[in-house]
Amino acid sequence: MTAPKGGNFGKVLEIDLSKQTYKTRPVSEEILQKYIGGRGLGAYYALTEYKAGKNPLDEDAFVFIGVGPMSGTMALSHRTCFVNKNPYTGNINHSECGAHLASEIKFAGWDGIYIKGRARKPVWLAIVNDKVEFKDASKMWGKTTETAHEMMIKEMKDPEIRTVVIGPAGENGVLYACLVVERFRAAARSDTGSVFGDKKLKGIAVRGTKYAVPVADNAKFLAAARVNKENNMRGEAWEGIKKWGTGGLMELKHFLHGSLITKNFQTTWYPDVVKIGGEEAMRTFWKRHAACTNCPTHCLKLGVIRSGKYAGLVAEGPEYESGGLLGTNLGMTKFDEMIALIEACDAYGLDNISTGGVLGFLTEAMEKGAIKPADLDGLKPKWDDGDTYMEMIRRIAYKEGKAGKFMAQGVARMSKQIGKGTEAYACTVKGRELAAHDPRGDKIRAYSYTMGTNGGDHHEGQGPQALGMTAMADSLVICSFTNFLLYGAGADKITTDMLNPLCGWDWKTEDYWTACKRIFTAERILLVREGVSSKDDRLPIRMYREKLPAGPRKDVVFTDADQKDMEAKTYGFFGWDAKGIPTEATLKAYGLDPFIDELNAAKKKYNL
Amino acid sequence: MEDKKLPDVLKKETSRRDFLRGTATAAGSAIAISAIGGIAPKKAEAQYSVQGVPGTKPYAQKYRFAERQNCTGCRSCEFACSLFHYGTARPALARIYIAKYKDIVDVPVMCWHCDDAPCIKACPTTPNSLTKDPKTNGIILNEKTCLGAKCMKCQEACPAKYIRGNPDTGQPLICDLCGGDPQCVKACMEQAGNPQGPCLQGRPLGIGVNMAFREVTPEQAGKDLANLLFYPNVEGKRVVPAKSKTRKGR
Ligand code: SF4
Ligand code: SF4
Ligand code: SF4
Repeated sequence: MTAPKGGNFGKVLEIDLSKQTYKTRPVSEEILQKYIGGRGLGAYYALTEYKAGKNPLDEDAFVFIGVGPMSGTMALSHRTCFVNKNPYTGNINHSECGAHLASEIKFAGWDGIYIKGRARKPVWLAIVNDKVEFKDASKMWGKTTETAHEMMIKEMKDPEIRTVVIGPAGENGVLYACLVVERFRAAARSDTGSVFGDKKLKGIAVRGTKYAVPVADNAKFLAAARVNKENNMRGEAWEGIKKWGTGGLMELKHFLHGSLITKNFQTTWYPDVVKIGGEEAMRTFWKRHAACTNCPTHCLKLGVIRSGKYAGLVAEGPEYESGGLLGTNLGMTKFDEMIALIEACDAYGLDNISTGGVLGFLTEAMEKGAIKPADLDGLKPKWDDGDTYMEMIRRIAYKEGKAGKFMAQGVARMSKQIGKGTEAYACTVKGRELAAHDPRGDKIRAYSYTMGTNGGDHHEGQGPQALGMTAMADSLVICSFTNFLLYGAGADKITTDMLNPLCGWDWKTEDYWTACKRIFTAERILLVREGVSSKDDRLPIRMYREKLPAGPRKDVVFTDADQKDMEAKTYGFFGWDAKGIPTEATLKAYGLDPFIDELNAAKKKYNL
Repeated sequence: MEDKKLPDVLKKETSRRDFLRGTATAAGSAIAISAIGGIAPKKAEAQYSVQGVPGTKPYAQKYRFAERQNCTGCRSCEFACSLFHYGTARPALARIYIAKYKDIVDVPVMCWHCDDAPCIKACPTTPNSLTKDPKTNGIILNEKTCLGAKCMKCQEACPAKYIRGNPDTGQPLICDLCGGDPQCVKACMEQAGNPQGPCLQGRPLGIGVNMAFREVTPEQAGKDLANLLFYPNVEGKRVVPAKSKTRKGR
C-alpha cells in the first residue's frame, strides 16, 4: 500500500457507534487515484463491503462523510459529501453541501469520516484533531437543528466548530429527513437524516487546528490554484449568482426558460413569482451575503422578515430549489410565509425538495378529489395556504397522527397507497421527488433527474459529459459553480492542472475522463445490483403525457424521441448497453473487473 | 437650538465609546472620529506619497480597516495570511480570523496596530519580545524570547481581544502587516469584489480610526453588526411566532 504524496493523508476516521470506539482506516494511494474521495470513495466502500439487497438500516451500515484532495487547500474546494445506502430509495445515494465543514475535517487530519454501528442512547461526536469524544445527546434529542448546533458550540466553548446535525425529522425516521450543516446549509438528497436517527447519532462537531493538507509540489500547485481562483473572481459567469444567489433564477426560469415548477408541475407559468422570487427578496429581505471556505461567489443570502406574523424571522433563501418547491410549487404569494416554510424544514431537518413535493402532490390530490380531509386527520391543503402547509410540515417531522405517518413516507409510497389515478401526477424518479426544474421546459435537466444515481436530483449533471464531471466534482468534493459549470468540458484541464502538483500525480486529461466514467459506472453497478435498469431511468408520467399549458414553452412535452436520444447518448458515453447495464468491456476498461460476476448475477436475477 | 426644545433622545449624554461603536463599522467615519479626538497624523506619516502621483513611491500600508458589514465569512484572508507566513493553507495559524456571532454575522478579527500598542507595553521580557516595525507599523514577534502560553500578557492587554495563540508553539499570533503589503487585504479585494465591495482595506494613515476600532471586542462588533443587519432579531434566533403551532421541540 502506497501512501499519498499529497492532497490526502491516507487516513479515514472510522467510528463505531455500537462499541463507542474509533480508529484510523488507512486508504491507499491506488484507491484514492481511482476513486478520488467523497462520492467516489463512498461508492467504493459500498461496492466492496455491501452485498446486493443490503438493508440500509443494518447496524453495520455506514454513512461516509467524504472530503477530497483539494479540500482545505487553496484550490477553492469547500463542499462535504455524504454517502449512504438510502432507506428512502433503496439505493446508494449521495448528497453534497457547502460551508466550512470539509476543510475543518482536513485540518483535523482526516480524508473522511466513516461511521457505522448504532448507539444505545443518543450520542453526538466531538472531533478535535485526532481525538473523538462520544457525548451524551439525550438533552439534544428532540431539539431543532439550530438549537442542537448552538448546544454543541456552548458545550465545546468554541464558536469556530463546524457541525452537522439532524432535527426531529431524522430522529423520528422521516424517510426524507436531511442533515443540516452549520445551521444554514443542508445535505438532503441522500436522506441521511433518518440513518443518523436510526444510529441514534444527533450530530457531529469538528474542529481542526493541527494539520495542513500536504502538497506534492507547492509552487506548481499554488500557481494552478491561482489561475482557478482568478477565473472564479473575474469570470462574468457568476456575477448574477454573486448578487442573487440561485434565488434570482426563479424569475429567469419563469419568464425565459419556462421551467419553473408550479403547483406540482401542472404548469411552468406563474406570474406571481415576482411576489416571492429573488427580486422581492432583494428589495425587502436579504441583508447579507455569506460564502463557503475561500470562495468568491458567496451565493448564500441571509435576511430577516421585518413585519407581519413572522416578524423577526432570520432565514436563508429563497434559493432556486427551496423557493421553487415551497413557493411556486405550492402557489404561494406571500413571501414571508414561503420563507417560514423553508425555515421550518431546516429547523426540523427535512429535505426542502421532497417536503415541497409531498405538499404539492397532496394539494393536487385534494383538488382532484383523490383524497379527503378525513384521510389527513382533517387537514385540507390548498394552494397558497401557508398555515396549513406549516402544520403539515410539523406533523411530518413528528410523524404525528395518521396524517403525519402517512406523509412521512413520501410521494411514491403515498400515491401507491391512494391509487385513484394519482400516479398520473406523482412526480418522482427512482422513488424521489423532482427538484424545481420542469424537464419539459428544461429538457437537458432530464439527464440529471433520470440518469443520475440519486434519481430526481437536479444536480447530477445536464448531459452525458456533465454527469461524469459531476461525479468527479462530487468526489473531489468541489462546487460545480467553481468548476465545470464555469469551464464546461474545459474543466478536465484546469482540474488535472491542480490535481497533478497537489497529489504528485501524472494525469492526462484522458485520465480525468476515465475517472469520471469509472466513478459513475461504479455507482451504476450498485444500482443494477438492486434491479435498476433503463426502465427506471424515466421521468414521471406527467412529463410525457401533459403538454405545458402556458409560458415560454407552451405545448412542449418530453417525447419518447427525447427519451430515446437521452438514453442512447448517456449509455453510449459511459459504455453501457441499451438497457443501461455497463458492459464487461467497459468494466475492464475502467478497472472495475472485480465486479463483473456480481453484475452478471444481477442481470440474470432481474432478467436484464 | 435651546436644549429644552430637543427631543429627549438627543438630550441624553451619549458616551464617547458608544458613539465610536456605533460608527466604527465604516472606515468612512475615520474623519469624523479623528475630529473628536483621534490621533492626528504625525508629521512623518503625513509625508507618505500618494498612489499614482508621479515621482512618489508606493506607500506601505500601515493601517488596516474593515467594512465589517461587507464580510462574507469566506476566510480567504485567513488562508492568504497562513500561506504567506507558513507557505501552507492552515487558518489556525492566521493572524486574522473570522469570528462567528450567533451564526448570522461574521466578524473579521484583526490587529489595529495601535499607535500606543498596549500589547508591547504589557510584554514582560527585556527587551520586549514584541516590537513595532517603524517602517511598516507591523508588530514583530521575537520567537526566541517570547515566553509563550504561560505568559500571554499581550493577549490580556489587547483591547480588541484580537490575539490568539499559535496551536503549535503557544506563542501569540500577531500581525506583522506582511512587511507593508497586507496579503489579507488583497485576498479580500478579490473575494468580495462583486457586488458589495471588499471588507478589508489598507491605508498608509490611520487618522485615529484604529483607536476607535480597537475599543470594540469581537463580541461587541458581532452585536453591532447583528443590530445593523438583522434588527429587530439581534439575537439571530429563528423566531417562532407566538401564535404558531410550531413551538414543539424548540
Ligand atoms: S490591536 Fe491588540 S495586538 Fe494590535 S497593536 Fe493593538 S494591542 Fe497590539
Ligand atoms: S496583514 Fe499580513 S500578517 Fe496581518 S493579518 Fe493580514 S495577512 Fe496576516
Ligand atoms: S476575505 Fe474579506 S470577506 Fe472574506 S472573510 Fe476575510 S474579511 Fe471577510
